Amino acid sequence: MDYFAQQAVNALALGGTYALLALGLAVVFSILGLINFAHGELMTITGYGLVFSLAAGVPYPGALICGVALAVFCAVAMERVAFRPVRRASATTMLLTSFAVSSILHTAFQNFISARPKPVPVPEWLGGAFTLAGIQIGAIPSLSILVTVVALATLVWFFQSAQTGLAMRAASEDFAVTRLMGINANRVIAASFAISGFLAAVAGILWLFQRGSVDPMMGFVPVLKAFIAAVLGGLGSLQGAVLGGLILGATEVMLRAYLPEALLGFRDAIALALIIGLLIVFPNGLMGRPIQAR
Amino acid sequence: MGAFAGRWLTKQGGANGALLALLIIAIGMGSALLGSPAMLNTVTNMMTALVGVMAIALFSGNSGALSFGHVAFMALGAQVSATLTMPPALKAQLFPALPDILLHFQANFAVALVLTAILVGLFAFATGLAIVKLSSATIPIATLGLLIIVNSLIIGADGVTRGSQAVYGIPKSVDIFVVSAVAALVTGFIALFKESAAGLALRATREDEAAAAAVGVDVARLRLLAWVLSGAVAAIAGALIAHNLSVFSPKDFYLDLTFSLVVMLIVGGVNSVSGALAGTLVVTVMIEILRRLENGFSLGVVEVPQIFGLTIIGLSLLIMAVLYYRPGGLLGYRELADILSRRSAPVASKPHSVPAQVTQKDAEKHMLRVASVSKVYGGVKALQEVSLEVASGEILGLIGPNGSGKSTLLACISGTQSASSGSIRMDGAELAGLPAFAVAQSGIARNFQSIRLFANLSVLENVLVAVLANDRTATQASARHKAMTLLDRLAIAELAHRRSGDLAYGQQRRVEIARALALDPRFLLLDEPAAGMNEAETGDLLNILGQTMRETSIGLIIVDHDMPLIMRLCHRLVVLNRGSVLAVGAPQEIQNDETVREAYFGRRRSGKGRPITMQQREIIA
Repeated sequence: MDYFAQQAVNALALGGTYALLALGLAVVFSILGLINFAHGELMTITGYGLVFSLAAGVPYPGALICGVALAVFCAVAMERVAFRPVRRASATTMLLTSFAVSSILHTAFQNFISARPKPVPVPEWLGGAFTLAGIQIGAIPSLSILVTVVALATLVWFFQSAQTGLAMRAASEDFAVTRLMGINANRVIAASFAISGFLAAVAGILWLFQRGSVDPMMGFVPVLKAFIAAVLGGLGSLQGAVLGGLILGATEVMLRAYLPEALLGFRDAIALALIIGLLIVFPNGLMGRPIQAR
Repeated sequence: MGAFAGRWLTKQGGANGALLALLIIAIGMGSALLGSPAMLNTVTNMMTALVGVMAIALFSGNSGALSFGHVAFMALGAQVSATLTMPPALKAQLFPALPDILLHFQANFAVALVLTAILVGLFAFATGLAIVKLSSATIPIATLGLLIIVNSLIIGADGVTRGSQAVYGIPKSVDIFVVSAVAALVTGFIALFKESAAGLALRATREDEAAAAAVGVDVARLRLLAWVLSGAVAAIAGALIAHNLSVFSPKDFYLDLTFSLVVMLIVGGVNSVSGALAGTLVVTVMIEILRRLENGFSLGVVEVPQIFGLTIIGLSLLIMAVLYYRPGGLLGYRELADILSRRSAPVASKPHSVPAQVTQKDAEKHMLRVASVSKVYGGVKALQEVSLEVASGEILGLIGPNGSGKSTLLACISGTQSASSGSIRMDGAELAGLPAFAVAQSGIARNFQSIRLFANLSVLENVLVAVLANDRTATQASARHKAMTLLDRLAIAELAHRRSGDLAYGQQRRVEIARALALDPRFLLLDEPAAGMNEAETGDLLNILGQTMRETSIGLIIVDHDMPLIMRLCHRLVVLNRGSVLAVGAPQEIQNDETVREAYFGRRRSGKGRPITMQQREIIA
């Protein structure tokens, strides 16, 4: 039972990280229809931002802020430079553009930074664990859950109350009509990229704490899984993205905990296959809406 | 068999396929005769990549859903064909866990290639059952997931495979002649497929899934067909690579290869088989140049240092440039055959003068019965217990205020949406719950309130899709004849070869009606067919519908806001209000019906029994 409780905490922690990433993807997709492959590079950028600020002597909290700010800036810049020219193009064109941006960025990291992992100092207290109701809980999973909850709560507040947040929710329902209501399209889109950059940065920091290093391809695998999570939740549905992320995280952790030794090597394959299997039952995702034709 | 060939073979597909195949052979032979060993090597590698690009083009070009997963089939193809051809002694050493029967089996390359295509095709079928159900937006991600699954399966199955290590000692059975021949065959086949009945229908789904289903196209079945065929072709590409290089490891069949192949396809133009070839050529040349520069070069004064990954950066910039300036790729929707024939022959053939009779008048009487149909969205009851019936030869008008459920009712009858409860029967056969394409095939055609044509297909092709989807015995030739006849009847035969998305509004409406009539429908559902038309155009439309009614005895359900048109045309009217039937009767009765007037104008104390004026009539519905 204790073992299960511990795994449940891990599931929530990993699922929360996927949820943050999937939500970042969904915020952009719901407004632009863009599947942003370069989202993972934003995670990586956060890592490098942190490493270089620390190297420059910035204290740890300041370095974290630098990392997040850099990711937000890069997300907005990415939209301005690469995605605006193809904004009205087909979904495939936008997707491939983001694919190209992603390739350019990680090749640039390999050339101008290093192809090898760069160690990220992790605060010592994060290595510890504490006991709650007889269950040993690691500091990192607890922090992940806490940060995820705070980030999601902030977003909920933003979407419910802030004017830009409301405009974004409207835009995610029907962008064309929202523009007719006099909402500034560029501002809404820039805001969506800023939020997705922020979410990628937060997830990136949590990911870094687990791994202790940053390398050019760091963001690729988690973001790919976040894609799958977003698809499972229903592409474009913000709640669906969170749900999909939690389900994927839980599936992975439980497989890791309970799969027989011989099958552990197939863990990712089994998790992905299970999710794709779920999609047969829910072709539009768990919370996605089928497209209506008039 | 004859009918099968009749649906597969077309002049355009044949001409284009033959041209491209000859071009590929010429490139192969040219490099074999004239090229240096290094160049021969490059061309051989390019040909193997070309087969991979063609595999993706077969699926993505026709279905419109980009796949990142075909390299998974290439990896399996390489693995399977290596296992089938390597000598048992080497296999025992490399794959210790291989079952005995596979260990001792050894085939020659040709047999192994066929077996590989079949086995991987079966695997593609199994995965396709899930993939084809997804929307075009999610397929790229799901297929990328597939690539990762297969890659980790191959690495995890160490013992049957070599895990993440290289497989070596594969018989080198492939040279420039073999790859050129296979590439030419594959390309010719794909050019034929594109114009075949299946390829055409699939391209229609690429343009508009809902409209394709409404003319009887089974989207999932066709996507599955293309997925399986393209999986088999990708397996052949993988086998060619393995037998060309004699060695491969799982990392060779992963993201880098996927990226290069997709770039080749997109640069050339995903919607054109010729484009896939052009893109492969252009990108290969570019990679060759970049690779030479990658180790650093001198610009006279400036020394450029070694740049790792210059090739990838170059390809990324190339693809972005193409996407910005030519979003359709170098060739867009054009094929080599079109480009060459444009000079010699005019594209538009003269309008046919064919007998106006399309089908014999259907003597049978049919009956469409809608019984107690309800549709609930969330908490909103869009339709409540609606019942009505239409018989062959009858024109039923469906009117009601905005939001009264008219379009929803048509959507439920046509299967575009499924009714929450109730039954829809044609001659006793239940239609409720059937998918839209099956309803269409059973003889119920519809148009859409907002026109939905297959914009990038020609006018003729728009109608051809509908003819071929509903008449399994029709050949390309007979279907073309019938489609031309329909276009002629709607007086748009001279537009047959125009891109339908370029036409004027009224012309598009006509194409949509021709496409609906191409189903030989027993019942036709028209949702605001005259919307946005001027009086002359509306008059023409009425004449066409009248003529159709005289020649075939179809039943018509028509929704429109144009009351004079409804009054002139309809035998009977059904009035919907807030999702329920308010009144049924002859146009004159409805016009004088008190409850109908209340629904439109609200209750009025005075003016009881005053007939609706012409002005008010036009506001109605």
